Amino acid sequence: MVKMTLIARVTDGLPLAEGLDDGRDLPDSDMYKQQVKSLFKNLSRGHNEASRMSVETGPYIFHYIIEGRVCYLTMCDRSYPKKLAFQYLEDLKNEFERVNGPNIETAARPYAFIKFDTFIQKTKKLYQDTRTQRNIAKLNDELYEVHQIMTRNVQEVLGVGEKLDQVSEMSSRLTSESRVYADKAKDLNRQALIRKWAPVAIVLGVVFLLFWVKNKLW
Amino acid sequence: MNTENRNFPARPPPPPFSSSPFASAPPPGVVPPQSGGPEAVGFRPPTRPFTPSGPPMAPPAGVMRPAGQPPLVSQLPGSRPPPPSAYGPPGGGGSFQRFPTPPPSGVPPPPQTLAGHLSPPMSFRPQQPMASVTMGPPPQSMTSGIPGGFASPSGPGFQQSMPGGPQPSYPGYPSNQVLQGPPKPFQSPSQGPPSAVSSYPPQTGGFAQHPGQQNMHPSYAPPPTSNVQGLVEDFNSLSLSNIPGSLEPGLDHTSFPRPLDGDVEPSSFAEAYPMNCHSRYLRLTTNAIPNSQSLASRWHLPLGAVVCPLAEAPEGGSICQTNNQEEVPLIDFGSSGIIRCRRCRTYVNPYVTFTDSGRKWRCNICSMLNDVPGEYFSHLDATGRRMDLDQRLELTKGSVEIIAPTEYMVRPPMPPIYFFLIDVSFSATKSGMLEVATQTIKSCLDNLPGYPRTQIGFITYDSTLHFYNMKSSLSQPQMMVVSDLDDIFVPLPDDLLVNLSESRNVVEAFLDSLPLMFQNNVNVESAFGPALKAAYMVMNQLGGKLLIFQNSLPSLGVGRLKLRGDDPRVYGTDKEYTLRVAEDAFYKQMAADCTKFKIGINGYAFSDKYTDIASLGTLAKYTGGQVYYYPGFQSSIHGDKLRHELARDLTRETAWESVMRIRCGKGIRFSSYHGNFMLRSTDLLALPAVDCDKAYAMQLTLEETLLTTQTVYFQVALLYTASCGERRIRVHTAVAPVVTDLGEMYRQADTGSIVSVYSRLAIEKTLSSKLDDARNVIQQKIVKALREYRNLNAVQHRLGSRLIYPESLKFLPLYGLAIGKSTPLQGGPADASLDERCAAGFTMMALPVKKLLKLLYPSLFRVDEWLLKPLADLDDLKDVVRRLPLAAESLDSRGLYIYDDGFRLVLWFGRMLSPDIAKNLLGADFAAELSRVTLQEQENGMSKKLMRLIKKVRENDPSYHPMCFLVRQGEQPREGFLLLRHLIEDQMGGSTSYVDWVLQLHRQIQQNA
Repeated sequence: MVKMTLIARVTDGLPLAEGLDDGRDLPDSDMYKQQVKSLFKNLSRGHNEASRMSVETGPYIFHYIIEGRVCYLTMCDRSYPKKLAFQYLEDLKNEFERVNGPNIETAARPYAFIKFDTFIQKTKKLYQDTRTQRNIAKLNDELYEVHQIMTRNVQEVLGVGEKLDQVSEMSSRLTSESRVYADKAKDLNRQALIRKWAPVAIVLGVVFLLFWVKNKLW
Repeated sequence: MNTENRNFPARPPPPPFSSSPFASAPPPGVVPPQSGGPEAVGFRPPTRPFTPSGPPMAPPAGVMRPAGQPPLVSQLPGSRPPPPSAYGPPGGGGSFQRFPTPPPSGVPPPPQTLAGHLSPPMSFRPQQPMASVTMGPPPQSMTSGIPGGFASPSGPGFQQSMPGGPQPSYPGYPSNQVLQGPPKPFQSPSQGPPSAVSSYPPQTGGFAQHPGQQNMHPSYAPPPTSNVQGLVEDFNSLSLSNIPGSLEPGLDHTSFPRPLDGDVEPSSFAEAYPMNCHSRYLRLTTNAIPNSQSLASRWHLPLGAVVCPLAEAPEGGSICQTNNQEEVPLIDFGSSGIIRCRRCRTYVNPYVTFTDSGRKWRCNICSMLNDVPGEYFSHLDATGRRMDLDQRLELTKGSVEIIAPTEYMVRPPMPPIYFFLIDVSFSATKSGMLEVATQTIKSCLDNLPGYPRTQIGFITYDSTLHFYNMKSSLSQPQMMVVSDLDDIFVPLPDDLLVNLSESRNVVEAFLDSLPLMFQNNVNVESAFGPALKAAYMVMNQLGGKLLIFQNSLPSLGVGRLKLRGDDPRVYGTDKEYTLRVAEDAFYKQMAADCTKFKIGINGYAFSDKYTDIASLGTLAKYTGGQVYYYPGFQSSIHGDKLRHELARDLTRETAWESVMRIRCGKGIRFSSYHGNFMLRSTDLLALPAVDCDKAYAMQLTLEETLLTTQTVYFQVALLYTASCGERRIRVHTAVAPVVTDLGEMYRQADTGSIVSVYSRLAIEKTLSSKLDDARNVIQQKIVKALREYRNLNAVQHRLGSRLIYPESLKFLPLYGLAIGKSTPLQGGPADASLDERCAAGFTMMALPVKKLLKLLYPSLFRVDEWLLKPLADLDDLKDVVRRLPLAAESLDSRGLYIYDDGFRLVLWFGRMLSPDIAKNLLGADFAAELSRVTLQEQENGMSKKLMRLIKKVRENDPSYHPMCFLVRQGEQPREGFLLLRHLIEDQMGGSTSYVDWVLQLHRQIQQNA
């Protein structure tokens, strides 16, 4: 069953439309929406992602497709057939491109195509029940293949960016630490030198002093 | 020059000039004014007794002028020409009187400037038009020059010489203004008032705010010293109000001030600050903010503002507002994000200053230095203005609308949602309410805002609840009846609230069949509480607007109410106020829940019996809605009114899921808010649905003992979702000067907004105490304010038998009386039914200033003469509508009058009105009792003319539909009920008349004076 639907622009993560009564009976819908938003942000950062993907999160699963720089995402129960979910997204995509196609790039404000929500509502209802004749027919349709679509975990997906950040942070830390190490080493070297020759220099100094005193007195 | 010639001969030779001050040796500061002497003499030789002293002084002044500030001299005539023209010349003499006391201490350069000021009036006047353009620095000279110019008319003789008050005596002013063109260059946007003001000496702060020529008149008294100022103020008030202290038969009450021109806003202020938002959005009670707590505590009037964030621009009617009609510009900040102050979250506005060659901007409210984002950067020109200023509307306009980015949304913008909760019990169908309501809703379906996202839904109730499934695939709606009132559930998850564009056919079929379905309903019970709960359960996903049509007292289930209003024993006791607040905590709780889920409630009540509006209104009050009350609804009589008002409610532009906050400068704080809303945190107003007909009042307190700034800024920000699905922020910015002087505060007071605050305070007071107490509070406040004003001015004068008040507050006493006589507060508990009182109270809490003033002092005008005129056209309503004082004396029994308070129109037929007119207007049954007659258009010119007039009056203000009542003189008790009781200047059973009221005020003012 479709829980929520979001459409966003990939280039900058700007939300374009959203199903209206999303998260109606979802206790922590805010948390999932937050995840979706960070997912969009990840996508906009240009990590090369497949154009079709499923992402598991808790008891639910996000399915999304990216087409024409727009990401169509829906959240369903895990038990909901993947095939139907992607067909649902295809439907949305076709209609969205047909209606708003030319304006997508120029949209400046968030939810510029919020009027699309009525279509989302309508389509959602069609896909709500998996056992209707129509949906069974779709399920049996061999032409639409979804097996090769990768499934990953949300932590993993959201983690990708995080890991990269970690690596770069580590390497920069390494650089700075090694610089510190070099400085310290130089310092130590100098100290060792001093420690080694200081007694000799003192002895010599005393001897010369004695000589000088002796020469002066006598 | 004309003005002088006209005025001066009329002026009696000032007798007091020979008095002592002049004889005493003038201190050094006085020298320059005398330089005006010789010229004055040349001009008007016979009258000056002081001429001998003139010549010796003149030469030094002449020498000083070139040496001192040559540029100033040339600018001066332009900067302040009118005072010399009207009053200046006598000033040479008059100033002598005053000068010994106030050597203009706070103004270091007076000698030069005075010299420059006083001498040129004759020689330089021709330059006025051009001189005014370069007005930059001279304010100093103005202020110092004024004592000479203005202190002069101190003698009583002078006052008498201007019988008509200040206005008539300035015939020269208007022409001067025209000539001088825009005073605006002075306020060039880049420079802004703060910088301009900061250069003034502190004492002149208040006055210097008004460089525009016109301001002179209200702010006559530039206050270099309290002495001079007192004098001048005195003459402001005296010339307008001479009220003998005792009640004599000859008391001339026709001269009492009456707001017959409607609400007059102080225009000078708007001109001084052209970048302020328009006063229809934000009106301060005084346009001068006190600088210290002690000053604020002496200002007994409310210190605050009335905000109407979505006010509509008036239709092209009035001339004065043509400049301000433009729409609020819509701005998209794009990728730079909205520019706001980091600390106080102020939005960027015309008063911020850019520094550091455009890389930083200083917040005008908290003076924090913020970085300018790269995308927003622009270079500054030599004067410190941004180069792109003309493209940045947010930096030039006081009111802007900003498109909100995602950070301002917790969810996608909601669609407009209208949900109807309709009573279908016996009385609802019998009165025809159901039919009118459904017809109206149906006719408005096309005009509901927000197509194609608009959603709509219905629940009806009597002793059971009826839900309607309006799924788009159905052809007829399905009705589901829930009779279990104790455990409410919603029988269907979806399809109770449907998209209008999809389910249009079903909705129409439903609306057609609804009146028929319940045609024969004999159920008289009302399960209002459970129905409300059910509606809440359906709506709480998205929010929206809930319209309740209530016809009888809730009698079943949760929230049922008792017939408590019937008990006369409670009236007049200390417990009386409990009748005016909601009885059951259920209502307040529901209101709080609804606000939380962005549900705004509008209540429509129709019953002829007690329906406890106090409880129903609570729902509207805390959800930012309003109450419409049609006592004893009959579709034949009230049908039109309901039709118009419901249509207006459904189709006007509405702001959804909004919150409002008003920010103000450091040191002051908005402490209390009055109106229909829910306060979410200390200063955030939650307004689930707000529209152009709602205004909110708020009061200020000073937090710091002393304000050090020259000006205070206010910024109203309303974050809302427009019906089209855009999230926007509407920002209004205004500035007001900080003053050190109480007189200036009085001069800049705005009666309209003071009255708005007062009426809200009084209505709130009735919810916790007796009506009498509420009225007394208002009276006491007015008395205190006027007493303070008296103390301020009475020092130098014997004003024993006069009530004095500032020009700006001349209508305050009358409006104070009107508040006491308004429906929520009038008379004893029996004078108006409890429901009427409460409904009017809820309505008045939300009314914008102009509308409220009209309700308090309605217009009354005579139309029979106009009707008889053959060629009169309707093009200017102004010609027809000559408002008369609201007293029985104004009614001539040979005339036909229209009384219009914005909610009702009463046509009063005089007893001796020519039968022709009555026949023409009313048709054949003109002689019948008028309560049975409705006004219809007859087939003759006169009737058509009248109907056109009425139509025009109604169109003038579409927010309510005034119903037309006809009444003939002497037709009791209807006449008394409809009209006579509302003639507020008259004494009507127990209430005071205007004359008595003024005398009463006067007595109280004098008691402790």
